Amino acid sequence: MIAVSVNGALGHAGLLLVLAASIIGALATGLAIATGNRRALRQAPVYAGLIVAGSAIAVIAMQRALEVRDYSLAYVQQVGSSTTPGIYNVAAMWSALEGSILLWVAVLAGFTGAVAWRFRRRTDDVLVGWALVVMFAVSAFFALVSFGPANPFAAGPTVPVGFDGPGPNPLLQNHVLVLFHPPILYLGYVGFTVPFAFAIAALITGRVGEGWLVETRRWALFSWMFLTLGILLGGWWSYEVLGWSGVWAWDPVENASLLPWLTGTAYIHSVLVQQRRGMLRVWNLSLLVATFALTILGTFLTRSGVVASVHAFSAGEVDGYLLGFFGLVVLVSLGLIAWRGDRLRAPGVIDSPVSREGAFLANNVVFTVFALIVLLGTVFPLLVEALQDRQTVVGAPYFDRLSMPIGIALLFLMAVAPVLPWRKASQELLRDRLFWPAWCGVAALAAAVLAGADGWAPLVAFALAGVASGAALRQIVLATRRQGWRGLVGRANGGMVVHLGVILVAVAFVASNAYTERTRLPLEVGEVVEWEGHTFELVAVVVEQDARTDVGRADVRIDGGSIHRPAITTYLQMGIPIGTPGVRTGLTEDLYLTIAGTTPPAAGDRAVVIEVFRKPLVLWMWIGGLLMAIGTVLAAFPGRRRRDPTAPVSEPLPMSEAIGTRDEEVAGV
Amino acid sequence: MSDVVDERPAPDAAAPVGAAPPTRRVAPLVVAVVALVVGGLFFVLASADGDRGATAETPLLDRPAPPSAGSLTDGTRFELSRRKGSWVVLNFFTHDCVPCVREHPELIEFAEQQRALGTDGAEFYSIVISSTRDEVAQFFAERGGGDWPIVFDDLDFQFQIDFGVVQVPETWIIDPDGIVRGRIISEVRADFLSSTLQRLREMRA
Amino acid sequence: MSSGLNRRLKSWPSWILLLFVVVGLLAVGATRDGGPRTPDQRVDSISKRIACPVCQGESVYESRHPTSVNIRQVIEARVDEGRFTDAEIIEGIVAAREGQELLVPSADGVEALAWALPATAFVVAIAGLVIAFRRWRENAERLGVATDDDYAIVAEAMARERLDGTCGDT
Repeated sequence: MIAVSVNGALGHAGLLLVLAASIIGALATGLAIATGNRRALRQAPVYAGLIVAGSAIAVIAMQRALEVRDYSLAYVQQVGSSTTPGIYNVAAMWSALEGSILLWVAVLAGFTGAVAWRFRRRTDDVLVGWALVVMFAVSAFFALVSFGPANPFAAGPTVPVGFDGPGPNPLLQNHVLVLFHPPILYLGYVGFTVPFAFAIAALITGRVGEGWLVETRRWALFSWMFLTLGILLGGWWSYEVLGWSGVWAWDPVENASLLPWLTGTAYIHSVLVQQRRGMLRVWNLSLLVATFALTILGTFLTRSGVVASVHAFSAGEVDGYLLGFFGLVVLVSLGLIAWRGDRLRAPGVIDSPVSREGAFLANNVVFTVFALIVLLGTVFPLLVEALQDRQTVVGAPYFDRLSMPIGIALLFLMAVAPVLPWRKASQELLRDRLFWPAWCGVAALAAAVLAGADGWAPLVAFALAGVASGAALRQIVLATRRQGWRGLVGRANGGMVVHLGVILVAVAFVASNAYTERTRLPLEVGEVVEWEGHTFELVAVVVEQDARTDVGRADVRIDGGSIHRPAITTYLQMGIPIGTPGVRTGLTEDLYLTIAGTTPPAAGDRAVVIEVFRKPLVLWMWIGGLLMAIGTVLAAFPGRRRRDPTAPVSEPLPMSEAIGTRDEEVAGV
Repeated sequence: MSDVVDERPAPDAAAPVGAAPPTRRVAPLVVAVVALVVGGLFFVLASADGDRGATAETPLLDRPAPPSAGSLTDGTRFELSRRKGSWVVLNFFTHDCVPCVREHPELIEFAEQQRALGTDGAEFYSIVISSTRDEVAQFFAERGGGDWPIVFDDLDFQFQIDFGVVQVPETWIIDPDGIVRGRIISEVRADFLSSTLQRLREMRA
Repeated sequence: MSSGLNRRLKSWPSWILLLFVVVGLLAVGATRDGGPRTPDQRVDSISKRIACPVCQGESVYESRHPTSVNIRQVIEARVDEGRFTDAEIIEGIVAAREGQELLVPSADGVEALAWALPATAFVVAIAGLVIAFRRWRENAERLGVATDDDYAIVAEAMARERLDGTCGDT
């Protein structure tokens, strides 16, 4: 009699398993640590395993429900459609609020499982125990959200036979990147839970030395890499799909992903000062807490609809949960840091601002101020609304204006910091080491001027980018000359590869923003039109229809060569036309075609107005992103000749983990 | 607990313990600032109402309708501000939007229902968003209706901009004093529209 | 490369030469005439400063919504007319909505906070750094003579420095 969906029941069971295992795991492990019950402590990985299993069941159930279009579920009614092609149907899982929380639960379960697996031989260690407790607690929170206010398996109203849903937002079903961008971004977001968990564990256990940093170095690096990749893939998606020819619009959702990236980037730099000098402990903890709290805050901002955004999902009560959790995280972390304040004081001094650690401090100032600006701009409309009860918008021009000096400051630091020694730099040394990088900068500047670049800000950026790449290359060349291929790995050398990637992204971003040209070309079939040294020929106007869409497309041949196909697609369920661009990608410039206006060309049309953007160097943004990822991997695997950096200098605590290689640390507990 | 978190990069926590501790006036200050900022942020966020824009709420609700102008099929000027004195219902549409096509029969019925009320009936207008006159003529020729005034929003797009119309179709209700009383996003049904109007009339009386 | 030549190359005169080259190139690049702004460029810069009134947080420049397309056409028409400044065109468009469509906060009233707070944050951060460095210097002086431990640390750090390859001579 009861037409309860199998998928719904299965999904609920999975989520319940995650919820129960998380709560019981957190309580049991915490209790085991408190009572010193080692046998109970060793059970912790079991709970992690159950969480993984539960979330796997839930994801499988959701995928199956989407696959068979199980319209007994409210979520499938919302995002399912018989006409959605297979791969976008898979991605439909994260195309609305409930499913994206489910994805979060699944990724978090994966990380919890990975931590339990990685430290499976060290479950006796209370540091690991507490870290797992924190992971369980976070997991319990998201499972609770998923089980409660954002339940993807909630039963929907009964639908008539033959009902068909609208399918995901049309923007989420016309490019293959929607398959990769959200999961990769979530890997980055959620990944920072691991260093956060260890930071909290370090505070609880009082082992606030450098041991936990070493444990979580790679976790932080890989999370950072995924966050970077996710953000860049988002930009790529925007470029390939949205049709306004840009990659970054300072939309609140984009800002929400940028915020943890900024604090995370600050962290992976300043953590080097702590590993090397044992200083900045409070600061590093704060950065990690801020990074994690900002992922929660970002999710709140974008999922609650308090700020207007193209990406925003409409939501129910989830915002209260997320905001409450954000408050809890900040409160608990602040309290713990205050409680451990006495142990966090580290000896040692930074002698000179002109030193490696001085540069890292400056880097941190810039990144933190940047994060503050992004946060301020994002919530500013709310602030004005609260104070004056009127609506405002803060958009790209504001962020552009403020991020320009910040970008230049960061490029300057990237140019100088790699050649600075620790402790103190002399003028002579700087003159010596900066000489060739500086000439690299001159060469870059000259090349830019020859290529016709104008405006002082882009030129300064190009020149500094040249110096920065010179400084990075200098490090890599010196290291490879001395160590062979091992000169490419390790955190300093891999970091320089990341810098090269960042420089590519920065240069491409500046150039493509500053030197975009745009025009409108009325084209007629068979006629060749010339603009900026390129020829455009309208080959045909094509109109295609299927069950899902009406597509009006203009096939344009560029320079007598390849054909590109800007189109306007009307998704019948939505009734709104969506333009997709045709892009000719090249090493020096992209030609980006869209059909002007919102009316799709009709069958039999012989003329179409095309909007053409010429954007220099866009391709290098994606190449730079790839290089950043490669560099991060290189940085994560140190050459074998060098042991893991330990924390020798500064640890006055009697605890043994301070001297800790891993084995010693286990023994010390 | 003088030395708590420090969001600003003034890592005085890293000050040495080897020597006599210097004055620690900065730390409490930093803590206070951080607590204030986070607290303020929390308050602003908690008091913000979510879901803006997703609902039919508009800043124009219960405020005078903007004095937008457009042109009629024959090119004469249409000014909304001159329509005071009777209830006005505006339906924003384009000829090719699928939900508009779907709701069209309902609008025909609604127009008839209002006409049956005589002088109490609301004036009904179609506001054309981006379709051309030919497209609109063809639309009504094929699907009937259109025996009411059709306004083209071709004078600097005043209607769309002033009313801030999201996706078409949208239907707005304006009372005889020119005050906006309702906004319905997406498809409407004739009965719903008529009963809403009736309720508004009673509330006014 | 002989180290003598290297050292001579890196001495002050070549740095001064470098400075001149940079200033020269910057002057050439920054002051050269990029040509008059085309109408398209004006339309772009204006439409980037106006929010699409109906979409969620997009500018008119980015948005492909019909309303934005229409506003862009209004801007184009006024730019083509040629008698309005950018500010006048923006004023004309946003006046109807009480300035709710301006994407850049103005410099007065509450909105000035959007500019003042970042500046304050920056000043506070720099001041914090200055204070921190002064305190470190005082402490360093107070710490006095280095112990054997300290020397060991330095030696180790230097050994690692060599391994890192950051300390090498070109």
